[in-house]
Amino acid sequence: MSTDARFLIVDDFSTMRRIVRNLLKEIGFVNAEEAEDGQIALNMLKSTKFDFVVSDINMPNMNGFELLKNIRSDDALKGLPVLMVTAEAKKEDIVAAAQGGASGYIVKPFTKATLEEKVQKILQKATA
Amino acid sequence: MTSHMQDDAMSLLLDSNLARHADTVRVKAARTRRNKRGAALSVTANDQVSVIGSMDARPTTFAAPPAATTEGIATDDFHQRVGNLTRVLHDALRELGYDKELAVTREHLPDARDRLAYIARVTGEAAEKVLNAVDHARSVQSELVQHGASLRLRWQAVRTYATGAGVERATPAGRKLVDETCEFFAGLDGPADRTQAILTDIMMAQDFHDLTGQVIRKVVALAQNMEEQLLRLLIDSTPPEQRKKVESEKLAGPIVNAAGRDDVVTDQAQVDDLLASLGF
Repeated sequence: MSTDARFLIVDDFSTMRRIVRNLLKEIGFVNAEEAEDGQIALNMLKSTKFDFVVSDINMPNMNGFELLKNIRSDDALKGLPVLMVTAEAKKEDIVAAAQGGASGYIVKPFTKATLEEKVQKILQKATA
Repeated sequence: MTSHMQDDAMSLLLDSNLARHADTVRVKAARTRRNKRGAALSVTANDQVSVIGSMDARPTTFAAPPAATTEGIATDDFHQRVGNLTRVLHDALRELGYDKELAVTREHLPDARDRLAYIARVTGEAAEKVLNAVDHARSVQSELVQHGASLRLRWQAVRTYATGAGVERATPAGRKLVDETCEFFAGLDGPADRTQAILTDIMMAQDFHDLTGQVIRKVVALAQNMEEQLLRLLIDSTPPEQRKKVESEKLAGPIVNAAGRDDVVTDQAQVDDLLASLGF
């Protein structure tokens, strides 16, 4: 997948959306859009083609786990890479994300190197 | 018996949110019992009979019926005991004057929530300002790098001309200046990359807003839950004729929630308008 890959950043905190967006830009991915919660993200995913989702977990309306579940249960979306980026460092959450089909899991605060490594790894796996 | 009932009531009726306050109640209750030799808080058999009657007439929020009997205690008896304990707790709170303290505490909780929300908002705005500044600095940095790269090429052409084909066309001082200028432009990439890395670090540091914001959100929810439970406790423990609202003492500091208030201003324009209306 090239650097033209289109990202959807889902987080209820605008600061974090902006940070992730800028980091992706630094890594080389300039095509990114933002959603404030899982419900908005799901609507965007159903109406527009995205190649990668970076999602928080704790969000109003629809949290990251519910978004992940909806993505994995939708035939048109189930193959979409989903990277969870969250402050939840509890093992049960990480396990739940893995069991729910998350492609990766990053705990906040994180570094640019961590995000880059995870994104590249997931993209390589997706295109393999 | 009375002491056990009060302690049992505390344990049964206060959840973890109120546990700390319950400890204080216990300590002060014990102190009062010592001082008054138990007279103030004693509950006689007649009191309990009347309590049962009143509980039947006015069930409390706390005496929620359990789903099943507990170890052979009949459901009716269980309800009756919970009702007794609830009434004893309410009476104890009232006699100790804790209904007023609870009222004050409850009055302050919305203010505490507003203050936490204020912290979240102000820190969020600060983080956004920093991100804006980082974006601006990056833009300026990028322009400098591009301009530097352009000048480097031109100065390299000057150097080639000055020393090209074995012909020295510059004075020694001019040659030195050209060399130093070319080296300066050639070395710009390193500092520029370091500056970009520093800007990235500054940007990443703003994630504190997300992390602290989530903690604040949880504390606000906790405070709201506590406020609701205190309110229920107050309603049940305070006689109707004494339920006048306790005047909340306003804490000093910035106004964190100006919504619905006509006694505060929210921006400098309103300050100026107010001053103008006063003739200043």
